Amino acid sequence: MSSERSSDTIHEHRFDNGLWLLFEPMPWLPTLSATLLMPFGSGTDPTGMGGSGTVLHDWIQRGAGGLDSRAHSDALEGLGVRRGGSAGREAASLGVSFLADELASVLPLVASMASEPRLEEAEFAPARELAQEELASLADAPTQRLFNALMERFLDGGPGRSPYGTREGLAALTPATVREDAGRRLGPRGAILAMAGGAEWQQVLEVAGRAFGSWQGDAMPLAEPALRPPGTQHVRADSAQTQIGVAFPAPAPGDPEVYTYDLALHVLSGSMGARLFTEVREKRGLVYSVGASYRALHGFGYTLGYAGTTPDRADETLRVLLAEIRRLTEGAEADEFERALTGVLSSVVMQGESSGARASRLASDALLQGRTRTLGEIRREVEAVDLERLNGYLQEHPFPEATVVTLGPKPVSQEAAA
Amino acid sequence: MSGGRAVPPASGALRYDHVVLDNGLTVIGELNPNAVSVAAGYFVRTGARDESGDVAGVSHFLEHMMFKGTDRRTAADINRSFDELGAQYNAFTSEERTVYYGAVLPERLRQLLDLLSDMMRPALRQEDFDVEKNVILEEIAMYEDRPHFRVFELAGNGFWNGHPLGHSVLGGQDSIRALTREQMLAYFERRYVPSNLVLAVAGAYDWDAVTGDVAALTQGWRPVDAGRELVAPRPAAGEGRTRDDALSRVHAAVFAPGLAVTDERRYVAAVLANALGDDSGSRLFWALVDKGLADSASLGHEASDGAGAYVGYVSAAPERADEVLGVYRRVLGEAQEDGLGAEEWHRSQRKLATSLTLRAETPLGRLVSLGVGEQTLGRYQSVQEVVDAVMGTTVDDGHALLSQRPFDALYVHRLEPAGSTEEATTP
Repeated sequence: MSSERSSDTIHEHRFDNGLWLLFEPMPWLPTLSATLLMPFGSGTDPTGMGGSGTVLHDWIQRGAGGLDSRAHSDALEGLGVRRGGSAGREAASLGVSFLADELASVLPLVASMASEPRLEEAEFAPARELAQEELASLADAPTQRLFNALMERFLDGGPGRSPYGTREGLAALTPATVREDAGRRLGPRGAILAMAGGAEWQQVLEVAGRAFGSWQGDAMPLAEPALRPPGTQHVRADSAQTQIGVAFPAPAPGDPEVYTYDLALHVLSGSMGARLFTEVREKRGLVYSVGASYRALHGFGYTLGYAGTTPDRADETLRVLLAEIRRLTEGAEADEFERALTGVLSSVVMQGESSGARASRLASDALLQGRTRTLGEIRREVEAVDLERLNGYLQEHPFPEATVVTLGPKPVSQEAAA
Repeated sequence: MSGGRAVPPASGALRYDHVVLDNGLTVIGELNPNAVSVAAGYFVRTGARDESGDVAGVSHFLEHMMFKGTDRRTAADINRSFDELGAQYNAFTSEERTVYYGAVLPERLRQLLDLLSDMMRPALRQEDFDVEKNVILEEIAMYEDRPHFRVFELAGNGFWNGHPLGHSVLGGQDSIRALTREQMLAYFERRYVPSNLVLAVAGAYDWDAVTGDVAALTQGWRPVDAGRELVAPRPAAGEGRTRDDALSRVHAAVFAPGLAVTDERRYVAAVLANALGDDSGSRLFWALVDKGLADSASLGHEASDGAGAYVGYVSAAPERADEVLGVYRRVLGEAQEDGLGAEEWHRSQRKLATSLTLRAETPLGRLVSLGVGEQTLGRYQSVQEVVDAVMGTTVDDGHALLSQRPFDALYVHRLEPAGSTEEATTP
């Protein structure tokens, strides 16, 4: 690997107002990406107002500082900024990518959405209406519906609640309640600004300091996820395929064995050569899509498994899916382990080539673990895992019983879900 | 072998490499000596548009079968080999082409080329064909649950009006069930000939090693010609409606006549469509999404071989569908009547330029436009050249395109439940 391309530095700074700035230099790139994470998500939506965070996330993008909605948007786009972002379970994000030369012009426009959003009365109704439209459109998106139902069944309130909110919750919102919510949750304490790309740290620090320095306010602590007892649930839907989702707890982000677990999941589902794809799709032709992946909330990790198949094959698909998850407790073979290790290490290296991927990874590491790791540190931690450690871990930590949720024309049999 | 290093470094440290092997295979590269990875892919000039009705969906089914083994490898061997390389890899099929690609660390490029090249000569075993047919049927079922996808197939079929660009990539349940291994083999032998393939490599590589390896790996490939019949498009205007009571929203796809990929004005069309229908800050965004009337409203331009189209999508509540589609049409109509502003044009240009630059950050991101560019234009285009072309367009160029009134000939297809304002019919 060429050394000028392997950044192993992450700069960081905490501003007086609490905002945490992280920056990974990628000096070979003409581009720069930034992710601003604000710690308000559906997990801490006010009681009876599910979707408040989502509406707030939209509303702050409808005019800020001296600029109304249209002027603010035009200013960003005139600089060629590509925008993204979403309202999540724990945090809301604003993501931007742009040519690095525009840093000093772009960052103040991003900052003003957080520090001085206008929250104008006239923009509230369309913001809420859009949230209501998005909630309604879920009805035609069975996979998304499945995961919302699964998270609600798996977790007891808090971040188990869907960021899309509820019909009743959205209907209950008023400009006053959402402004009050902003006062409670839209503050720099707990917020993270992560950047990566072709700029120098001193410049990033100065521009970010000027742009975000005036942001004031408090923030609420993140909601603690609470588990419901595992079980099964079926959601009736008139769909061509039955959607199958499973969820069970996993090591928390930052746990010393999190990379051991990551390697185990790679053996299960890291690629088309892994067990789930081989057993469910390649050998049996039961599905087009099957997989399992690690997800995390602050201080809590979990695994989500998924398969989609036509209703008559749902029992067998679920049976094989659960059997493969259980079988992993018996350990991995040496060649499977080697392939998983190669895959994880290779993806760590390739992650370092994209500014957007790095910025969002830095932001989520900071939120979930309260710390970040350079790609070099991650590589060393992954390399410290060997087959013996992996199999020892799996033996001592058998996968917990899964919560199973299905969505489709008919439920799966009790026997398949057991 | 003919060709060689055709073009000097185009921008920065990048270098373009190009060679046509004796068997007719074109191999190209864009060297970025600073990249930490390298991506490689076979671009096959074959897709749904090259299928006859009796083998509808064969290009895509074949794409799956290419992963199911060769004379040297079983399906499990192929999957295992990709894993041993730590490759990020996949394949896709469109109306225009089928692409197989992967990205690895540079020291594993040779093995990746060996694997991809071997896959281009598949065994197509009957037992694998039978199992994979079920996977294809599941994929078709999966897309049946995605109205956003279905409505594009329905609309494309109506708009292209018998032209091959309106063919379904997946095919139908019936055509897939009836398809035989022999039909697939015949299609393969006709379409997967060296002159119909481009092998593209992007990132960190040694060109002499690449050409030496590929020449050896593809030595047995016989040079045969494979054409593509380009039929003049006769796109339809009007409306189509399909009723599906399982849905709760109206999903509409919008098509209008656009430009072919060889048309010099294709960047003008791209900037124009982006100004009208980008997912943020565009005219359709302000008119529909910003107001909360629709959760999604977009327009883009797709330049294909010999023909092109403006392609859009909008989704709305059934009781609002007429109003929303009315606004959608009005936005396009007003652009035709009154034109666009210079600032508006500039914003659209800059957004596109940023997107192009971002995509080129990684070798894998760069690979597809590199391969597609070579296959459609027959020449190299650096990212900088494309950015310059986008930034070189003017709002007057946009007005010249609009003066041909492309949006007078809209084709709109609605996929909708009962209860939309007007009665829908089932075809």
